[in-house]
Amino acid sequence: MDALSYFATSWVSPELFGLTALGTFLGIYIGAIPGLSVTMAVSILISFTFSWDVNNALCLMVGVYMGGVYGGSRTAILLNIPGAPSAIATALDGYPLAQKGLAGEAIGLSTVMSVIGGFVGIIVLALAAPTVSKFAITFQPRDYMMLGILGITLVGSLSGGSLAKGIFAGALGLLVGTVGLDPMTAQERFTFGDVNLWNGINPVAVMIGMFGVGEALHQLHYMDKTVVKQKINRILPKLSDLKKYLPLSLQSSLLGVIIGALPGTGGDIAALMAYDHAKRITKNPKVPFGEGAKEGLIAPESANNAAVGGAYIPMLTLGIPGDAVTAVFIGALFIHGLNPGPLLLTEQPHMFWFTVGNLTLSNIFVLIFGLTGIKIFSKIVECPKGILIPIIFLLSIVGSYAINNSIVDIWWMLAFGILGYFMRLYRFPVGPVILGVILSSLTDQNWRRAILSERGDLGPFFAHIFTSPLSTVLFLAIVWIFFTQTPIWTKMLKPRLFRKKSST
Amino acid sequence: MSSPSLRKPGEVVFSLLLVVFSLFVFWQAYKIAGFSSMSSAGAFPMAASFAMLLSSCFIFVKTLRTPKAQGMRFFYHCLPPVVAFIMAIILIYAVLLNSVGFTLTSFAFLFICIQTLHRRSPFYTFALSLITLIVVYIVFRLIFQVVLPEGIVPEDRVIAVIKSLWS
Repeated sequence: MDALSYFATSWVSPELFGLTALGTFLGIYIGAIPGLSVTMAVSILISFTFSWDVNNALCLMVGVYMGGVYGGSRTAILLNIPGAPSAIATALDGYPLAQKGLAGEAIGLSTVMSVIGGFVGIIVLALAAPTVSKFAITFQPRDYMMLGILGITLVGSLSGGSLAKGIFAGALGLLVGTVGLDPMTAQERFTFGDVNLWNGINPVAVMIGMFGVGEALHQLHYMDKTVVKQKINRILPKLSDLKKYLPLSLQSSLLGVIIGALPGTGGDIAALMAYDHAKRITKNPKVPFGEGAKEGLIAPESANNAAVGGAYIPMLTLGIPGDAVTAVFIGALFIHGLNPGPLLLTEQPHMFWFTVGNLTLSNIFVLIFGLTGIKIFSKIVECPKGILIPIIFLLSIVGSYAINNSIVDIWWMLAFGILGYFMRLYRFPVGPVILGVILSSLTDQNWRRAILSERGDLGPFFAHIFTSPLSTVLFLAIVWIFFTQTPIWTKMLKPRLFRKKSST
Repeated sequence: MSSPSLRKPGEVVFSLLLVVFSLFVFWQAYKIAGFSSMSSAGAFPMAASFAMLLSSCFIFVKTLRTPKAQGMRFFYHCLPPVVAFIMAIILIYAVLLNSVGFTLTSFAFLFICIQTLHRRSPFYTFALSLITLIVVYIVFRLIFQVVLPEGIVPEDRVIAVIKSLWS
């Protein structure tokens, strides 16, 4: 009963209700405008809302997250430019549909499927999180340490680029997180004798730099892309289509939740995997994939919104971010004095049910705003980048200044912005950096607790890994990720296994 | 767009810088506590910087092996003048923000950026920057209550004057 009243917090309070609606609305547009990403928006929002009440701030940010993951699909369909990384797969079949004059239908279908995916994600979150959280209390420090490492290596290996680049980015983030006084011994780390560095580098400044300024600088390369106008007629999808594609949507949603729940991997990877899945299971598509197959639109759209609920599971139960945006959310919760982890659900169950209620509400708003207001939408998306990008810069600078009223944070933001620019340019993933910064102290402290409990001896540390099934699984998963990158796997084993598969 | 299998100009230098940086932080991490114990304050930073060092060496070697992209120039494809210019403007903005104040520096910043990127008549840019600044100011300073450096503009008095116009 309590849970229900917490769940309804944001439904009955007009202020929270309004903020969720506003957040979702903003999220759809932020997600839709190429160059503005959800991670960027949420990290800038943290710095502006940290003085607010935590509920208000969370309502706005949850709305932006949910709306933003969906919003990316619109520009993917209309312009063939994914508004957000999670919509890359959507563009593959969404844009060909728009070229055939079916833009409205594609938008309607993707909206409904996104919302279905969103609900699947939320239901799984509500059902699984309490169980995971009970289980999480039994986790050993070494399990937390390995979960941290697993998160970083997973996002490095699945994001498509080279694992080495992913690991470099993740390790850099971990290192940035250690700057300052060591919380266990108060020894100075990388402070170079400067008192300003005792508190470390502000993670929000790193986030805004990497995702705000770094991304906006990168967008300067694509200033001249013009917007093509599309005619949109019918928005409400056909009932027969909904019925026909519901099984695929549910399958992709489940896939999305699982990928989202894995530490480190979020909607973008979920969408690409769901697209692959749809391609594999659809034997005789009416229209070939890549030329406007509705299956290719539905699968990634259901999966990326389902991944939102999934990504919350490790965040709320373990304090380990499910993707880059939840990493930013953890930063926000810390700023508001909340400590996401296994105790959050028992000590502050209202936070959990409040978040679930909030996600649900925001998902309903996605449906409402998704099926209306297409005309205003196309106007806003046509806002020239020459105006948009200076505003992003301004907000990034003001945002990083506002957290501590300190100019030093602007310097860090700018430094990480320039680093982020070059990392993007040379195809380094930037998500692992943020994950690393957020996971740094968790991994560090649990490593030391784990090794201290073995009296500083590595032998028993590794021996004890195999006494617990969970530790064994985590350890093997990490080893497996590294193994799949070695030539033994890529050159020798993988081709053989694949040949076997294709012959059966 | 270039295919991902080709090396962009500057990529070798960038990956070499990463190796040098990793080496430096590894040495710094070593200086925290050396190899004294597995649970010292320096153990984790050393592990992280060692991972950086290994991966950056691997990236560097791999970058050297990839064929160079033809017809790409660093200052055209990788760091075009406009990007370098905007970076410099942000730097100047950050330097001036505290002393000159939010309103004036932000206005100048918006004006220069929009004029550079949007290329319309100066009057249009002027009006646009002013409107943008007012909206940002109202949203962040007045609604979100973010404290912004006041600098040389007496904001309180300006706001008081505007308020007195209404009452």
